[in-house]
This record gives sequence, structure tokens and C-alpha cells, in this order.
Amino acid sequence: MMESNQKLKIEDVLEQNGMYVGPTVGVSMLPMLKNRRDTVVIKPKTKRLKRLDVALYKRGDAYVLHRVLYPIDGGYIIRGDNCYADENVPEEAILGVLVEFFRKGKHVLCTDKKYIKYAERRLKTYKFRRFFVRLKGKIRGICRKIFRTFFPKKSTN
Amino acid sequence: MKLKKGFVIRVVGGESVVVPVGELSKTFHGMINLNETGAFLWKFYNEEHTVEEGVAALCGEYDVAPEQAEADVRKFVETLQANGFTE
Repeated sequence: MMESNQKLKIEDVLEQNGMYVGPTVGVSMLPMLKNRRDTVVIKPKTKRLKRLDVALYKRGDAYVLHRVLYPIDGGYIIRGDNCYADENVPEEAILGVLVEFFRKGKHVLCTDKKYIKYAERRLKTYKFRRFFVRLKGKIRGICRKIFRTFFPKKSTN
Repeated sequence: MKLKKGFVIRVVGGESVVVPVGELSKTFHGMINLNETGAFLWKFYNEEHTVEEGVAALCGEYDVAPEQAEADVRKFVETLQANGFTE
């Protein structure tokens, strides 16, 4: 009636069940997946991943779920939808691939046309988003400098 | 008896899987696979109910003998309590 696998690692669950269903943790795949709200369904990798696939891999002891930008020899260049740095991930580090997810309780298949359009758009707007993130950082830095000019820190001596 | 808040049932490939969300996902790492009657009882115990009410609900929903239903519900409830899934 009920089976729980609380003590198993994700890779063990994938091997035993052929599927892992679990919560999302972190902000790197925003706005698609929100920290501890949404649920992902991962299946073991059976073939080479392709552009736009979302790969589950291990970085040290941490599990990471990020999008494949493009395959390279022996691995992939991968980046989170809400990240601004690429990662070179070897093929052997890949544990599985996202096949479906529940966003705000709504079921989405990774083969869904609307979802694929979203993923394409996310990659296409990357440079634009990065420009604004950097601009925001620079504006924040300038504001901080101005603030310190008018309100310098008081010396404790 | 009532289930803790913070679990959600997801139907994946025809199978019912329970996963934690929110704060509970910080302490519970895993997934719970349920069969059809397990999923029915899980939803039932999202509200406060006794074992007897669970037996009556199970008999009302499925063609099952009351003795068998009681044994199943008791086992289900014991598993929930043993794993700390109840309030």
C-alpha cells in the first residue's frame, strides 16, 4: 500500500524505481522552478542529452538541475535558467534528465510545445538579462558610493 | 489521526507518489509510492479521521470485506505513525 525510500540517494532511487520524484531546492532554475514549491520528475539518462534538456548531475555532494546549452565531446555545457555562468559537466556526472514537472501544482511535460518555447526564449534572452543584471549591479555600486560620500561611516576611535 | 501538512500527491505515469514541499522538504528527503487504495487513504487522512472512519470509507469506495479493510487501514495508519507522517 505504501513504500517509502527516505534513506536512499537519488541515484539509488533512479536505479531502483526508474524514476525520481521530488521537490526542487534552490533558485537557479527560476522562474520555471521555485524553491521547495514545485516537484520534478527525473528519469535516468538513456541516451545522449540534447540542447534544452534539463540534466540532473552531481557537483561534489550536491545535486544540481540545470539546462543543457549544447553537448560537447565527453560532456555538456550547462547553465541554470537563473544563472549567469556556464558549467562544463562530464557525461559521467549526469544522473538523469527532467521529463516532467509540477509548477504551482500544474503538470507540465518537457515535450510540451509551450514549455519548449519557454526554454528557447530563456536561452535567447540570456545576453539581454545578463546585461541588465550587470547594469543593476553597477547602479547599486554607484548609489552605495554616493550614499557613503554624504553619510560616511563614523570612526569608532 | 491526521497527516502532517507539507506533503503533496503527484500522479506520475499512473502511479501516485507523495513528495514533501515547503519546510517539510528540509527534513524529509524521499518519495512515498502509493497504490490505488493507499492514495485513497492518504487523501482521506488529510482531514482528521479515526481508523473506524477510514475502514468505513474504504468499504464504501472499494468492494472489500470489513475485516480485510480494517487490517489494511490499521497497517496503513501504523506505517504513517511509525514514519512520523502524522500530526
